[in-house]
Amino acid sequence: MSTSTLDVEPSLDGRSVRGPAPRSIRRSRRRGAILHHGVLILFGLFMLYPLIWMAVSAFKPSHLVLTDPSIIPTELTLENFVDGWVVGGFPFWVFFGNSVVIALSSILGNLLSCSLTAYALARLQFRARNVYFAIVLVTVMLPMHAVVIPQYIVFSNLGLVNTFIPLILPKFLATDAFFIFLMVQFIRGIPRQLDEAASIDGAGPFRVFRSIILPLMVPALITTTIFTFIWTWNDFFGQLIYLTDSSVFTVPIALNALVDSESNQGTGTLMAMSLISLIPLLLFFAFAQKHLIRGIATTGLK
Amino acid sequence: MTATLRPVDAPSGSPPAGARSRGGRGRRSQELAAHLFMSPWLIGLALVTAAPMLASLYLSFTDYNIMSSPRFVGLDNFVRMAGDARFWTSARVTSLYVLVSVPLQLAFALLLALVLDRGLRGLSIYRSAYYLPSLLGSSVAVAVLWKQIFGQEGLVNQALDLIGIQGGNWLQNPDSALWTLIILNVWTFGSPMVIFLAGLRQIPEELYEAARVDGASQLRMFRHITIPLLTPIVFFNLILQTIGSFQAFTQAHVVSGGTGGPVDSTLFYTLYIYQQAFVNFDMGYASALAWVLLLAIAVITAVHFTLSRYWVFYGD
Amino acid sequence: MGAGAVAGAGALAACGGVAGGGGGASGGALRYAFWGNNVRQTNYQKAFDLMAEQDEELALTVEFAEYSAFQERMTTQMAAGNVADIFWIPSAQVMTYYANDLYRPLDQVESLDLSDYSEADLRDFLLDGGHNTMPFGIFVPVIRYNATFVQDDGVDWPDSWDWDGFAEFAKGYSAEHQDRWAVAYAADADLPFEGWLRQHGEQLWSEDGRIGYTQEGLESWFAWWEDLRGAGATPSIGEQDGVGASWEDVGDRCLAWFSNSNHIVDDATMFPEHEFALSHLPVDPSAPAGHQFLYFPRQAIYSGASDENAERAGEVFNFTTGDVEMLKIVGLTMGAPVNPRVAQEYAEFASPTETAMLEIVTEDREADRSPRFEAPPGSSTWRTVMTRVLEEITLGSSSIPDAAASMIAEIEQSIDRAASGEESS
Repeated sequence: MSTSTLDVEPSLDGRSVRGPAPRSIRRSRRRGAILHHGVLILFGLFMLYPLIWMAVSAFKPSHLVLTDPSIIPTELTLENFVDGWVVGGFPFWVFFGNSVVIALSSILGNLLSCSLTAYALARLQFRARNVYFAIVLVTVMLPMHAVVIPQYIVFSNLGLVNTFIPLILPKFLATDAFFIFLMVQFIRGIPRQLDEAASIDGAGPFRVFRSIILPLMVPALITTTIFTFIWTWNDFFGQLIYLTDSSVFTVPIALNALVDSESNQGTGTLMAMSLISLIPLLLFFAFAQKHLIRGIATTGLK
Repeated sequence: MTATLRPVDAPSGSPPAGARSRGGRGRRSQELAAHLFMSPWLIGLALVTAAPMLASLYLSFTDYNIMSSPRFVGLDNFVRMAGDARFWTSARVTSLYVLVSVPLQLAFALLLALVLDRGLRGLSIYRSAYYLPSLLGSSVAVAVLWKQIFGQEGLVNQALDLIGIQGGNWLQNPDSALWTLIILNVWTFGSPMVIFLAGLRQIPEELYEAARVDGASQLRMFRHITIPLLTPIVFFNLILQTIGSFQAFTQAHVVSGGTGGPVDSTLFYTLYIYQQAFVNFDMGYASALAWVLLLAIAVITAVHFTLSRYWVFYGD
Repeated sequence: MGAGAVAGAGALAACGGVAGGGGGASGGALRYAFWGNNVRQTNYQKAFDLMAEQDEELALTVEFAEYSAFQERMTTQMAAGNVADIFWIPSAQVMTYYANDLYRPLDQVESLDLSDYSEADLRDFLLDGGHNTMPFGIFVPVIRYNATFVQDDGVDWPDSWDWDGFAEFAKGYSAEHQDRWAVAYAADADLPFEGWLRQHGEQLWSEDGRIGYTQEGLESWFAWWEDLRGAGATPSIGEQDGVGASWEDVGDRCLAWFSNSNHIVDDATMFPEHEFALSHLPVDPSAPAGHQFLYFPRQAIYSGASDENAERAGEVFNFTTGDVEMLKIVGLTMGAPVNPRVAQEYAEFASPTETAMLEIVTEDREADRSPRFEAPPGSSTWRTVMTRVLEEITLGSSSIPDAAASMIAEIEQSIDRAASGEESS
């Protein structure tokens, strides 16, 4: 590297992401901003049209959802929410609860195990590093359907079917290689000089990990949190094969049970309950992404 | 002083000066520390990942119908694959899907991330709005929604009607069915977009400050700070979206009703694997198909990694 | 890593042969696996609760999922040897499961009460000469037609059709009514297809587990439908959203609909302003006697279930097929009652559409039917092959003879492959 820009004294003292810019730039920015907003809103409407349709359909009588698919409803009703609320004898909030338990546990598992693994792969020197990294990538590459049956057999022989354990335990064992790779890439963006400075002061690898790397990779951790939540919330197949009892059903299984490929009933309830299921996801995302902004403000260096 | 940053090699084996100077004891303690850090992963590999993967590798050389024991058949499955027209169809369909939708999706994701990163008011609303489709992307409801857009009476045809064009059923036409799925993939660009945003947020502010102090223009800063420092994230998204798109399953399964129709025009490779495993109970052949996919993805990923040397910049 | 691999391989070895593994491992609870949508699940649960009230030994642990999800879960359970004690059998897998010894022979189950059934009925229930599955419904192929249209359009709907007559009528009707079609394209409808074959002296599957029809037989079926489609008597494939017509898209614009007898119950609810009625399939004048047939959805007791659970399962069968209370709660979404006594008892509670279905099924049941055989192992994808072939025909990318030949070839290849696997394992 030929520049010494990175030798500049760290001075991120908790101010906002982009500091105040000169006035002239701000004025032209405002004109641009209006144009920006216009395009963004238009594009946003395009993106959201299917979801708007879904929201409208949720309030249509179920037999009209497909036969009268106009986005302007002729009749409105809440019957889909009532009909769809109970699935397999249990109210939907039970499924929300189950999904939340799995999602939060998975988040914890991923954050812990993937960060540890990523740090080792990105920062530590050891002979097997490249081999392990290659294996990490390979585990991402094998399609799920090929391993799902052998995995199921393992858990079935352990008597763990119809529990959450087959879904949660792997998260604590860094099996979501996607996040390992994500964190590796983020960590590699952190200058090594920081590690070295700390280790010269006598900090061991764990100290460096906890005090230097972890705070600086908060965007990666937030991203991991968001994606883990959303993917486990939407994970249909894995949850389907392990969970047989309605009381432990999760949201995707319950949604799937609303419409059968053999009959044509239930599309309205599917739209209604899918809509409701989006709400926790959206709230979670909105909440977590704020921390994505705040995260950067606290990545000041000690 | 402008900050010009050259791309540097991808992970190499040589340790930084600090660690080396401590010699043997340092390296040994690094080995130990590394394995301690990786112990969860190693346990996971042993218990949950390696056995099933090796099992499926073994199964790919067998004839296994799930209900009786596997029977070793050597390379029969692979020979069969070479002569299997539907295998080649699914490979072609999937390759086309990846080649078109990944760049498109990443382009949108990057573009929107850059636009949204400029501190506009209402940023989080836009970000949530663009991310919303990704939340729904692999759900059962998508089939219904997609039919409302691309079906005979769908939105697209209604729009075309306004300008006097009579559209057909896009989902039932083998020439266009795959494109509806490509559009579906691009529609869910919210995921890589969020990752790009996170990556943009991680670029140290002082670099921009220093450059501004030096009088650099927006474009200059963009070219010399943003882009280079974003390359690890671009690389990450590229690799993972490619791998993910090769493995795309739910969208095709849900929209085509599990058939990969019409006439196999949406027969994604993993959908074909699923049909062999769960409908035909031909688990041996399905495993063979899966490993061929893995090999193909591994080769492509390796190529990506090799090429990354020339354009990805790492801060370390 | 070594330990894991050994454990994995050991687990796989243990699961070979379904008698090993769990099966009824959850102690007392009787597991009952079935499919459907939420409405059906709710109704069945009510019925099961009633059954448990009457006999607490029969409390069920229900394993429920949508149809294809059900099959996915069953597949993993079969591999691990922990299938539910009682399970419904997806139609394409009946003989496959049989060939892999998933069924517990029912003549060993003493609690099962078959007194309501005649000898002929029991013969119908046999599979490969053995009583190893229990039917729980009856489907027959029908033409469902829109009685409202018949009235409004002044159609002279006969008591019975023949194929040529129907075709002629269909073309005329569609030409006359621009906003409607006479019939939806239904060349992929499996029960009507089987009906056609039997009327022309062929069958769907042969007794020795092969395809039961000739290329000419298949071609004639395709040709009959293509004739209609070409003349505009059916919607275009795009309009009906696929070679299997979409009821919600064109159901209220088609006078007739070839399908299975039980679908009327659900489908009618989608267009509440219309009334629907049922007719038998058209009958070819040269059709041999006994061409009628009944299709039974079947359920079975898992061969790995404990003896105690098997006996309890027999009691469950008695209730679900022999007690009219069950049917009053769940309705007839899975077809007409298989128990003739129950069918009679239910008649007074049946809705008009259900009554129509019961009548049609009874007529076919009373005929002196020639035997029919189930789909052999390896043929489970035959319907998707047929769909694909129909797509090629309707898109014009394949001629009828070529398409028929390729369909037969592909299905036979799968059957061969499954058979050779069976022999050597």
